[in-house]
Amino acid sequence: MAGIAELGVGIGWRPEIDLTVERLPGVDFVEVVAENLHAGHLPESVVLLRERGIPVLPHAVSLSLGGAEPVDLGRVEHLGEVAEAVGAPMVSDHVCFVRAGGLDSGHLMPVPRTRDALDVLVANVKLAQRNLPVPLALENVAALLEWPDGELSEGEFLAELVERTDCWLLVDVANLYANARNIGTDPERFLDEIPLERLAYVHVAGGVDHGDVYHDTHAHAVLPEVLGVLGELCSRVTPPGVLLERDDNYPSDAEIASELAAIRAVVTGRQG
Amino acid sequence: MIDENEVSAARERLAEKQAELLHALLANGPAPAGFDEQRLGVEKRALLSKRRGIVRVLGPAVADELGDRFRPLFDAYAVEHPRRAGSRAREDAAAFAEWCRAAGELPTHRKARWKFWRSH
Amino acid sequence: MTTPATGRGPRLSPEQLGYLAAGPGRAAETALARLIDRGLVRVSRDGLVTAVHRDGQGAATGVERSVLEHVRTAVRFGTVVETAAHDSEMRLLRTLLVSLGLMRLPRRRSASWWVYLVVAALLAVLGIAVPALLIGTVFFVLVSLRLLGRNALTTAGKEELARAAASDRVLAVALHGFRGEVAGTPVGDLFELPRSVVRTIQLKKDRKSTSDGAGAAVSSCSSCGSGCGSSGSSCSSGGSSCGGGGGCGGGGGGD
Repeated sequence: MAGIAELGVGIGWRPEIDLTVERLPGVDFVEVVAENLHAGHLPESVVLLRERGIPVLPHAVSLSLGGAEPVDLGRVEHLGEVAEAVGAPMVSDHVCFVRAGGLDSGHLMPVPRTRDALDVLVANVKLAQRNLPVPLALENVAALLEWPDGELSEGEFLAELVERTDCWLLVDVANLYANARNIGTDPERFLDEIPLERLAYVHVAGGVDHGDVYHDTHAHAVLPEVLGVLGELCSRVTPPGVLLERDDNYPSDAEIASELAAIRAVVTGRQG
Repeated sequence: MIDENEVSAARERLAEKQAELLHALLANGPAPAGFDEQRLGVEKRALLSKRRGIVRVLGPAVADELGDRFRPLFDAYAVEHPRRAGSRAREDAAAFAEWCRAAGELPTHRKARWKFWRSH
Repeated sequence: MTTPATGRGPRLSPEQLGYLAAGPGRAAETALARLIDRGLVRVSRDGLVTAVHRDGQGAATGVERSVLEHVRTAVRFGTVVETAAHDSEMRLLRTLLVSLGLMRLPRRRSASWWVYLVVAALLAVLGIAVPALLIGTVFFVLVSLRLLGRNALTTAGKEELARAAASDRVLAVALHGFRGEVAGTPVGDLFELPRSVVRTIQLKKDRKSTSDGAGAAVSSCSSCGSGCGSSGSSCSSGGSSCGGGGGCGGGGGGD
């Protein structure tokens, strides 16, 4: 498979900040939450960004590819339709599950890092890939708890997933930081283990400490430590794209612009 | 190449584990073996907080009307009614409002009256 | 919010002028206009209004504080105005304007003008049999018109309003509303607001020599809710990217 296109620095497009996203300097690409869009009537703002030539990448949150249940092809089809409607070069979802036993967790849950879970994930990803018009990238999630009996490290788990499915990776450095804080993942080892040549792009987001737990809220400022993990990643590879995710408690345009500038500084600084 | 039967067997084992975890986190089920109990508590509260926040956003009038009672009422509702797979957030918000009305925490005629006014 | 006088009497805030010009709805529009002007709230293409800071910082008046509190998560433009128009802070604003001698309390204008009109109509019907009663009809019609026409503004209030000019975009909203025009330019355009967003505010005539001081320019979008999308995605469950955890962010812990 050919390499991924250069994306640059981007931001998650959200309805509340559509005009901000349009006005911000230095937005090279955007991501939309696929479940919130209908291919038939895209938001005016998204159409306008497309007309300007800004790549729009659909990001899904509900495929539950790490779930034991068979993939819901209706959701895959919707993602594909959105991808075609916005002319996306790639789509993404997470290495996680959100549905099990008839319940919906309402949030991205980590999968056990076992052979069983990997085999199921691989089967699900392959089925999704066959039903998608563009390549699929998969993202590491932030976990607040650790499954018992893990047989692989998170990096090894993702590396094998890529090897067996030929998927791309969407590395969320904030999730990596969260896992380092909350369940003791070693970010450097993670970065050593994953196939960086399959890196599609990177997510950066803010969060907050509650006692000794770090919550990846997407509603607070990006911590310098998270930019540190981004720097670590950039010291190994030049990421094709880096995207800021902000989902709530949106700060002023100036503050968002400065977060994007800080991200760009890390990326270009390392490029020297 | 992993064969189909092996994958289905893996699915069954995984399904059981995942269902057990969600049941513990969302519906006060027993803690699954091997998990850190304290972390289960953290995850449970985080999921509840996220769900509560979404329902507050989708039904601000209900949240405003309940005021300080919103949180305890929502938390009681949530554990009684974990979100079913395939349900929508708006349905959750509507079901919570309905649950509050049934419990006498919200006036029941409100909706009908609005319809009357809005029919003009 | 009164600043030192440059002419006669204290200069009024835009919000107060808005109230004088067209009642609580206009004052609410003006409060929102100033918050947009100062970058304290943002408005999306679809008219979702959200506060830029969660702690309400930057509010200069009680109405503004109340608006900022309301839009901590996204609320539709028209709903923001409607809610603020009915806020208890508006009563305080009116009380202040009355105490400054710029307005009369609405009760004094008597809501009973229509009672006199009904009496007049009754007399008119009876007048078919007893034509002399038609004199009474004329009398009661005149009483009714007098009560209806009684202005909410005092002479001083009218003078204040006459002196005010739409010298900036916030004052333009106060005097003409988001849906009004200044020198041929729609006021909403001064804020780069899409027409569809501005139209969520119900049109309200400016106060002329006679008008109803208690009327509110309110939108009819009372059940628009937050306007956030919700598609039943499950990462964030709502899939709603607004507030409370759309996208993939966590729940923020046990708060």
